[in-house]
Amino acid sequence: MIRTLGLLSILLLGYMTSFAQNKEVLYDFQEIPQAIMVNPGINTIYNWYAGIPFISGIYAKGATSGLTVNDIFAADGLDINQKVRDRALNSLSERDEVNGIFQVDVLNGGFRSQKNPANFFSFGMYIEGYALNYWPKDLAILAYEGNADRLGQRFDLNDLNASGQFINVLHFGINRQIKNNLTLGARIKLYSGILDIKSTNNSGYFETTLGENNLLRNTLVSDMRLRTSGLDALLDANDNGSSVAGLFTKRGLFGGDPGLGFDLGVTYNLNDQTVITGSLLDIGLLYHTSDVTNYTLKGSASIEGVEIILPDALNDPNADVWEDLVNEIEELVPFEENNNNYVSFRPIKFYSSIRYNFGKQGEPVADCDCDYKPNSGDRSLYYLNSVGAQLYAINRPRGPQFALTAFYQRRFAKVLTLKATYTVDKFTPTNVGLGMSLQAGPVNFYIMGDNLFSYGNIADSNYASFQLGLNIISWERN
Amino acid sequence: MKYIPKSILAILFCTGIFSSCAEKQDFDQLDDLDITPTAEASILYVETPEDLINQDPGTYFYSQTFNFDAFNEEFVADNILDGVITYELENTTSKPLDITFEFLDEAGNTLDSENFMLNAAPTAILTREIAYGPAGRSLDIIRNTSAIRVSTTNLGDNTSVSSLPNPTVFLRSSAKFRILLQ
Repeated sequence: MIRTLGLLSILLLGYMTSFAQNKEVLYDFQEIPQAIMVNPGINTIYNWYAGIPFISGIYAKGATSGLTVNDIFAADGLDINQKVRDRALNSLSERDEVNGIFQVDVLNGGFRSQKNPANFFSFGMYIEGYALNYWPKDLAILAYEGNADRLGQRFDLNDLNASGQFINVLHFGINRQIKNNLTLGARIKLYSGILDIKSTNNSGYFETTLGENNLLRNTLVSDMRLRTSGLDALLDANDNGSSVAGLFTKRGLFGGDPGLGFDLGVTYNLNDQTVITGSLLDIGLLYHTSDVTNYTLKGSASIEGVEIILPDALNDPNADVWEDLVNEIEELVPFEENNNNYVSFRPIKFYSSIRYNFGKQGEPVADCDCDYKPNSGDRSLYYLNSVGAQLYAINRPRGPQFALTAFYQRRFAKVLTLKATYTVDKFTPTNVGLGMSLQAGPVNFYIMGDNLFSYGNIADSNYASFQLGLNIISWERN
Repeated sequence: MKYIPKSILAILFCTGIFSSCAEKQDFDQLDDLDITPTAEASILYVETPEDLINQDPGTYFYSQTFNFDAFNEEFVADNILDGVITYELENTTSKPLDITFEFLDEAGNTLDSENFMLNAAPTAILTREIAYGPAGRSLDIIRNTSAIRVSTTNLGDNTSVSSLPNPTVFLRSSAKFRILLQ
């Protein structure tokens, strides 16, 4: 129980500290090989690439809606209790959230088929962790202010909605130019779940009303659950001083929870200058079978304190009425633990874009005189400029979230490509991002970040991310 | 743009991406965060009908001790800041009554008591609030309470019956405690 309460506290505190997932700068950035990870149907322009292990793709992103670190912790001389009351308790809703993700490419590579140059294969392995925590509004009010003088106010237990996952992903994808103006891609992913914590789809309420007999009646109607996989082993390793890294490695290399997923993508040239793209990522699930511990609190009870109704109570004058009451509540709303396996679905991501290429035609980024697309395919690289819009959506426990991005991309011959984005989503309406791909011979270095206007005071930012990586790219023909 | 070397542009770009600053944050403020919710719930309800009082041939006296460990649960005892206990007594019987609440420790010693004199019906509902903590009685009473004893004495006869429907004496009580969580 103490461990569970501790865990719940960590999840709640996670609202204050954790990290979103839209890679709007990377999306459709053809000069960067890792762009294939967000659209397996991207138009590939190289013959092979090899990411430098562990540094080919490093990505972290964090987002908070409604509240920033600076709102609470700025050294402004204001009373923190008043700030918490004004800026969190009285301002945030149960739809406000903190979410975040990190990804590190362990291995990443790709090569064009010699047999059929229209096919490009990609493969690799990456580790990913994400955390998502909605502001538990009613529970926060209950914890901060209590139930006193709130007759008839229902504290909604559904406000507790938090999840986190740490997985290792082994992937293999195929990208194929079907026609001159159509490229399709698909990727299979084998997940190995390392750690999973999830408390979602809770329901019920706690309410205080006038009593029927006594002064007050407290009612709890609860259907709550916390599912964990890998947590006990992690805590035990931590307690025993054994290697947490070893445990992660073991569970990450298919010693954890198995899972399967797919990515799909498409690029279609409407005409020589206009391109539309789309992708669906992480259509998949994990089956949690190892080191599973679940906690449930399910039932309903209404109490009005200890009730002695004479003369009936005289039948058993030695009854321990307090213990009887406690036992009755525990029977009506049992807190239980089980080890039942469970399934968790990956958060599905959706990207789409439309791009218009214009300006003076230049040379392609590289001399990819690939004979499989002699005259057409995506000719955007032959234009210096691109402008367009992207739509992003991700499936979340409280419904899908959307982000709309406008972008401008500029190419400087074979060496340098810059992309600027402007994104609007629930976290910020003023997210300006920049990305750069620098090509020095076979070496490709890229770096990107977003919500740059917030860099003046990163602590006051609702959204921040960075991504960088180093690859070796071969532009030689097969 | 053609007058800016690409290498300079790249360096400027990287500098821009990597350059950020943050206003000073004071995370020590967490030490000043007071999370002190106020919780309230009913404590004890006793209901005694007049015919039960009349069944006693002498002067009716009822006394019973109830185990009540809610207050001295470690979490409550360690973190209570202050509180109020509210009593509400309603008498619709034809008899005046003397009712006493006592808070007892583990050894059965009386830590605190509250006495109520109730007139025979018709009479108003008697409500009393007793504060505990800095502005009231000692919190140690709450912290050490392990049982509650209720004693009732009939100060009238044992034959009369109130004309009110279902004549009964009702004892109701609730507690409102402020708890230090952080």
